Formats: sequence, C-alpha cells, structure tokens
Amino acid sequence: MWPKSIKLNTPNHTVWVEWSDGHRSAYSYPYLRDHCPCATCTSSHRGGATASPSPNPLPMLGAQALRPLRAELVGRYALQIFWSDGHSSGIYTFDYLRGLCPCEQCRPFPAHGA
Amino acid sequence: MSERVTPQEVMKALSAVEDPVARRDIVALGYVKNVEVGTNGVVLTLQFPASASSVQGELVVAIKRAVQQLGVEEVQIHQLASPPAPTRGSALIPGVKHTIAVASGKGGVGKSTVAANLASALQQQGVAVGLMDTDVYGPSIPVLLGSKEQPRVVEGKLAAPVEYGIKVMSMAYFLPKDEAVIWRGPMLHKTIQQFLGDVRWGELDYLVIDLPPGTGDIQLSLSQTIPLTGAVIVSTPQDLALAVAWKAIAMFNKMNVPILGIIENMSYYVCPHCGERAEIFGHGGAREAAKKLGLAFLGEIPLDPVIRAESDAGRPVALDSSSPHYAAYQNVARAVREQAERVGREAPPISFE
Repeated sequence: MWPKSIKLNTPNHTVWVEWSDGHRSAYSYPYLRDHCPCATCTSSHRGGATASPSPNPLPMLGAQALRPLRAELVGRYALQIFWSDGHSSGIYTFDYLRGLCPCEQCRPFPAHGA
Repeated sequence: MSERVTPQEVMKALSAVEDPVARRDIVALGYVKNVEVGTNGVVLTLQFPASASSVQGELVVAIKRAVQQLGVEEVQIHQLASPPAPTRGSALIPGVKHTIAVASGKGGVGKSTVAANLASALQQQGVAVGLMDTDVYGPSIPVLLGSKEQPRVVEGKLAAPVEYGIKVMSMAYFLPKDEAVIWRGPMLHKTIQQFLGDVRWGELDYLVIDLPPGTGDIQLSLSQTIPLTGAVIVSTPQDLALAVAWKAIAMFNKMNVPILGIIENMSYYVCPHCGERAEIFGHGGAREAAKKLGLAFLGEIPLDPVIRAESDAGRPVALDSSSPHYAAYQNVARAVREQAERVGREAPPISFE
C-alpha cells in the first residue's frame, strides 16, 4: 500500500490521503493525534494498534488550535507529523495509516475519536 | 457590457488557457479559486503554485485576454499567495534522480568491490554517478578507486573528490589511516545525514550507496532519511551467504524499499593455467534464490585474482574493456538501470492547503 498524495487541509482540520488502490482516506487532526503510534502515547510497547482510549489525557491545545506545523516523509514507508502541541515522535507507517482509515467501508464500527 | 456572462462561461474560457510548464489547462490545475461576475465586470481569484512562478506573468495576460474575449471589459485579478511547494523526502539531495543501496546480509561477499565497479560501469554508460561509502567502520571505497584527493570545503559544503568521473564520499577521508571509528548509533545517524546533506552531490542520475554488512543502524538511518529508489543485494552462491541475504531483503521489505535484484559475486573461478572452471562457492545459487523470491537476477561476477590485484591498485576492473569483467559489469549496470526505471515509484508529495 502506497500513498499517491498526502494533503493537510488546515481549514477543514483534515489530512487527506489518496492510496495507490484509489481509496481516499480522510483523517481529522484530533483523530490522528489521538492515534499517535509513539511509545509515549501508546503507553505500552505493543505498538500503535493498541492505543489506549485516551492517549492524550491532558491536551495542551483545544481542537481548533491543534494542527500539524510540518509533515515529512520517513524514508519511503512512513509519515512524521510535527504537531502544534510540540509532539513529533509519532512515525505513522503507511500500513498503520491505511489501517487507521475511519471511513465506513474500512470501519463499520467507528473507532474512538473518529 | 450588453449582457452579463455567467461564471460557467468564464470557467470555460479559462480552461482554454494552458500552463506551459505543467502542460495542462489552469482550471484542471486548480489555479482558479473563484469567479465573481459583477455589474462592472469579472473578478477572478487565482492562486499559482511556486512551480508556475516563472510563467505567472504571461499566464495573467492570457487569462485577461481569454475573459475579455467574452465581451467583458473589466477583468480584475486577485492573487492569493503561493502555497509552500510540496516537500518530498529527498529534500536533502534534490538533484539526485536515483539512489541505489548496495547491500548484503553477510560481510565479505564483495559488496564494496561490486559497488565501486557498478558505479564505474554506470559512468561508462554516460550517466552522472556518485558513490557514497556508508561503511564507517571499514571504509574501502577510496582504496578501490585509488582516491588520493581529499574533500574540500567550498562555500560551507563538502566538495566530493572525483575519481574516474565519479563523485566519491567516504569516512576514510576523515580518518588517519590506522585509526578506527568507535561509535554508537546516534553518531552514525548524524554521519549519514551529513554525507547526504552536507556534500555537494549536485545533479546526479545515480547515487550508488555502499552499505556495511548486516541490518543495523546505518541501514535503518539511510532508509529513514531518504526515499531510496531501491536496493541491490550482493551474495555469493553458497547457501550460508544466501540465508543471510534473505534477512537484508526482509529488512528492506519492512521499510518499503524495493529490491532491484540480486547480483551473484564470486560466481565461479576460471583457472588461469588450465582454463577449467571451478565453482568454489557453488554456482547459480543466487539466481535460484532470486527466482524463488520473484526478484530480478542482475548478473554474475566471476572470481578472479585480477579483481583483487586491480582493486588493491585502485583500478576498477569494470573500466578495463579488455577484461571479461567489463562485459559482466556493463550487463549488471544495464539491468540495474532497467529495474530502477521500472520501480520508479515516486515519493508521494505532501502538501498543505
């Protein structure tokens, strides 16, 4: 799975990813921030998929102010987001990001925070 | 103005205006953000990307003319600031088209020799080539290319020595001959970043990157720092080396780095006295492994004392057109280029809106 394009749309608080199979995913900023896969946020070493229900219990910023300041590719396998709350250690691998897609087709039962 | 035009008519007229750089019309490219038709004429809101800055002036003229041809007298144009240009992961080396890592699982299979000769063969084919030696513990590329020059600092960046037309960078340049690098991971990561970002690689078609053996810090740093075009796996034909090569392949798969194929080194030995062919490490093992894994087999390089002698003397055998290795490496270089073009999967652009 490979993203063809990644768009960060701040007016809509959404990251748009178009995948190589044509699927389009829309992730809200808070949803992505809540699913940060880094070790601190997941509070365990089991990996991002098991993120606890409230990985960011004391948000520094309200939903309106939370946004990516910068986003970079990590090699050719992941996306790193530098959030406005100062956090940047999450490496969202493309596989993880694809599995996180909150659309109805991908997730009949919406995940927490979607 | 006798009759007002509709915004649809304006859009239609604008879709006849083409960006000469992108070679598509400006509506399809999304430059037109808003069209307002008022009593006094038409107000357009436009946003040009940074890539169109060189043609922006002529585009504005063409846009005005297109709208005026609809009978509109007054055309006002508002321009929004250009959004930041999309970033790609290779911002460190923007002039480099393809980055090829030469890897193996096991040490001693001739990775550096293959990397130096592959770079030489590519250079012979007329493409611009660089060779980066990331084996900081046992840097051998400068010796293989007989490099006597030193990197120089020019305007705050390192100018790489050029050997046989190849730009070369290696840790060997920065170490007294008998000193060793004794570093932990973070230092290695910094070195990789500096070798990429602080060296004047300029415009290159291929940057061949010689890796140390294994699946450690340097491989990880490199795969994280730039979107590699692909990796070439070097192996001897014996099962032991191939078994370790699998691990290197597994690592690159995890990092989403395409495997361009496998090169079999020390494939066989032709006795200089009787001409008989001896298959010291077995033969064809890498070809079979490639087939099994569905990977391209890029070629086989025979074992020959000439390679050892010429390598120690700093002359890549791939440059000597009278040697049998010349043809072997030319074929390998061609196969690598074919594969690199084939996988040419571009890193996705990241853009802010």
